Amino acid sequence: MQIWLPFRRAASPTTARRRILPALATAAVTALALSACSAPTNTPSGPEFFDWADVQIAADGQTVKLWMWGGDDQGNAYVDDVLAPAAAAQGVTLERVPIADTKDALNRVFTELQAGRNTDGAVDLVWINGDNFRTGKQADAWFCEWTDLLPNMTLVSDSDPLLTEDFGTPVDGCEAPWHKAQFSFVYNEATVPNPPTTIEGILDWAEDNPGRFTYPAAPDFTGSAFLREVLYSVSGGYENVPSVYSDDAFAELSPALYERLDQLAPSLWREGTTYPATSEQLTKLFADGEIDMMMTYGPATLTALVENGTLPDTTRVLTVDDGTLGNASFFGIPSNSGNIAGAMVVANEALSVEQQVAKADPAVWGQFTVLDLDALSADDRALFDALPQSPVVPTFDILSQNANPELSAEWVPALDDGWRTTIAAR
Amino acid sequence: MTAVQSRPRRHGMRATLLVLPAIIPVAIVVIGGIGTTVVQSLGLMPLVGTPALSVDAFESTDNLLGSALLSLGIAVVSTAIAAVVGFFTAVLIISGNWGGRIVGALSAAAVTVPHLVGAASVGLLLSDSGVLARILGIPPESWPALVAGPTWFAVIAEYAWKESAFVALIIVGTLATRITSYDETAAMLGASRGARLRLVLFPLAAPSLLVASAIAFAYTLGSYEVAWLLGKTYPEPLSVMALRLFNSASLTARPEAAAVAVITLLLTAAIVGVAMLGLRRMRAWQ
Amino acid sequence: MSAGTTSVSLDKPVVHPPRRMPGDHGSPLTQSRGVARVLRIVSTALIALWFALPFLPLVLWSFANQWMHPAAFPMEAGTDGLTAAIANGGGLAFLHSLLLSLVVAVIATPLGAMAARALSRGHVRFGKAITVLLFSPVLLPPFAAVLGLNVLLLRAWVPPAVGVVLVLVAVAIPYTTFSMRAAYAAYDDGFDDAARTLGASSRLTLWRIHLPLIAPALARSAFLAFLVGWSDYLITLVVGGGHMITLPLIIASSASGVGNESSVAVLSLSAVIPPLILLGFIARTRNLDPGKQR
Repeated sequence: MQIWLPFRRAASPTTARRRILPALATAAVTALALSACSAPTNTPSGPEFFDWADVQIAADGQTVKLWMWGGDDQGNAYVDDVLAPAAAAQGVTLERVPIADTKDALNRVFTELQAGRNTDGAVDLVWINGDNFRTGKQADAWFCEWTDLLPNMTLVSDSDPLLTEDFGTPVDGCEAPWHKAQFSFVYNEATVPNPPTTIEGILDWAEDNPGRFTYPAAPDFTGSAFLREVLYSVSGGYENVPSVYSDDAFAELSPALYERLDQLAPSLWREGTTYPATSEQLTKLFADGEIDMMMTYGPATLTALVENGTLPDTTRVLTVDDGTLGNASFFGIPSNSGNIAGAMVVANEALSVEQQVAKADPAVWGQFTVLDLDALSADDRALFDALPQSPVVPTFDILSQNANPELSAEWVPALDDGWRTTIAAR
Repeated sequence: MTAVQSRPRRHGMRATLLVLPAIIPVAIVVIGGIGTTVVQSLGLMPLVGTPALSVDAFESTDNLLGSALLSLGIAVVSTAIAAVVGFFTAVLIISGNWGGRIVGALSAAAVTVPHLVGAASVGLLLSDSGVLARILGIPPESWPALVAGPTWFAVIAEYAWKESAFVALIIVGTLATRITSYDETAAMLGASRGARLRLVLFPLAAPSLLVASAIAFAYTLGSYEVAWLLGKTYPEPLSVMALRLFNSASLTARPEAAAVAVITLLLTAAIVGVAMLGLRRMRAWQ
Repeated sequence: MSAGTTSVSLDKPVVHPPRRMPGDHGSPLTQSRGVARVLRIVSTALIALWFALPFLPLVLWSFANQWMHPAAFPMEAGTDGLTAAIANGGGLAFLHSLLLSLVVAVIATPLGAMAARALSRGHVRFGKAITVLLFSPVLLPPFAAVLGLNVLLLRAWVPPAVGVVLVLVAVAIPYTTFSMRAAYAAYDDGFDDAARTLGASSRLTLWRIHLPLIAPALARSAFLAFLVGWSDYLITLVVGGGHMITLPLIIASSASGVGNESSVAVLSLSAVIPPLILLGFIARTRNLDPGKQR
């Protein structure tokens, strides 16, 4: 075995040439060694703050990168033109990173944690909820117990189940609420003069009108929510489906769901041989008049889509008697963000009455507020009451009647995988 | 050591220095990329928990064979179309008349379009209520299922469109310097147009045609956006499967995604390897 | 076929025929006549249609404020798409894309040219292995970069911008190396040798003889490398980590929404323009052939 000597004479050209391959091999081994070390066990917990003033001092001058889905022009414009200036007034620069899928942000954080980059992450703030939040929590990717510090959290009810649990995962101060959403069925009044009033009614209507209905393929967010709606319906109501996932409950309840969907499939668009890959593709089918009924987990955007002519004037939201799923979406702060204080300032500002009122205006974005309207002062409450009414989307009170709670997030991949192997592979 | 020997050796040293700057970034990216993917597929780099060597990820993925065959089918058909169309496009461009210039500009424009945009555009063009159906006045129910249909028509069309432009660009680029003089000589010696195409243009273009097709093939196997946007829900190509698993809500799906990536990589390497062996047999190369 | 022509005169002492580029006028010798001519026009039209058709939705949607099914053409023309594209940060993204692609081209082209020069002369040991290695990035599926490479770059504390350039240069090197190798296969070393024999220094030979001769091939390689940077989405997104918002990132996030067809179309069409301008320049790069009388 040859020992490398630091003062050996310079290598001759021949040996230098021969060293290319060994050098490459060394590079490869180094690369593997760098990557193969186990993921760092002590995940970062982030800085500690004593009070809000502490946060404000730390936040001054920070630049916060907000990673959010960029497919909604109204949402982009709200953040750029309304929220960012308000943050700037408090010394925080807000930069929006437009992404095509929230998973991109989560995967970035995971990769950084995998690489042991614990204090200078590229993601400071994410618009998030549901299974993305749960996955991040499992991987200890969130900065937690920070929402109590936000002054504006006093405007939010601390007993609202939509805000204390996110798809069955306890929030635990790891994310701050931003807005509420209600799963909604949407129909074209011109082609469906007498719309059904229950979920089962919708499925029957689809069978009576072959080719005029479909739903996005799971694991699309909306398509996956539709599976849960139908699961509630075939199980005789959400009360009969345990929120906490168990293999037994899945084995007992899911066959009825897949049987119903299997029966429905031949009556769907393209006879159920294929499904739209995303809820956007579904909306496109509806916009082009290929189907007469669709669904969305973001009814807020419908008003603008009707106004700019993407959707027909006769687009209406259907309220069903059995109620639909409701959820809230949140701001999460990755534990390895380098601008945690700044991100907290932005999250707090987004919860202010002014921002929530502006965001709830259908002309701006139309997102339902997370504030507890009953606890607001009369003046603040009047601001919400004075908001213009959308001609397409009913108010949140009407929409969320009989609202169904979301199942725990473990249900989601189980139902999605089952759908792929039984229905998609039909 | 004699002077006669030292001269090629100096050449060798210079050659090594010339090659090294290109080797370093490529080695980092390729060895690093493949290495980390393999390591993840073997469960040695989990997001949570302790690393443990296992091949479970390769076994737990269902319908792998179906996906692999589908991926291969799409890649073979679209590459074949791209090679044929690309070659004739290159011939037209090299002929240098006004028609060739128009085709040259259009194909160059097609090369610059990112696949993601290409997919969106082909989708707008070919879908049931797309631009073609609207212009021709055909209602959605009578329009064939080109997008998301059983034939994968739109997916293959998008790849064939983009890659034929790429093939043409490569052939034109490598031949422009020497083709015309050969072609004119052959013409002057009385060779017919068909004979010139067969005996002059094709043999000269064949090596770059093969290399460009191999690149197009590898790209088609590895990219996911087009098949995901324009394809059918089930079965899914390997790349779509890998990305779905990677983006899956469960933390344990990452090794499975890496396993699918490794299989895609092996498949690509095997087929491109065969193509490169074919290249070595061509005399026009070197 | 007629050989009677005025464009080629055999008695003129031409040492080296001027090299031709696509876009030069075809000489009458290789021009087709009669049925062949009709066939050629038809096939030209078909191939032109093949390449042009997918641009049709982009062009139509770019100027469509409103276009509902089943109207055959946009119902209301306007510039809403342009306004939305600018509002979404299209302008800055355009500049980012341009900068990134130019940096990739400026680095990957000389690296590829140098490697191709060495490999084409056969002096490199393990030449075959190195050829395979330099070609291998095209085999690497982009999602392999997402899965693994980024962990490596982050662990090695490579700044995101440097990481993006590094990976894109590696992806571009197969294209530049291959393209330059084909050029060197047809390159005549006689010019370099003659210059050296006549007493020119190696630097002078490189700048005044070698580089001018390979200029068109260099330009084509640079174009390919530019395209790698210009059209990349996944690597910029994942390795760049939000520090670099390029045009494809804006396009992808807009395209993932509903009703954004016209802004996506405007952004996409604007993405075609810079490479086309570049290609126009390349078409004008002629061999500065020392044997050519100017």
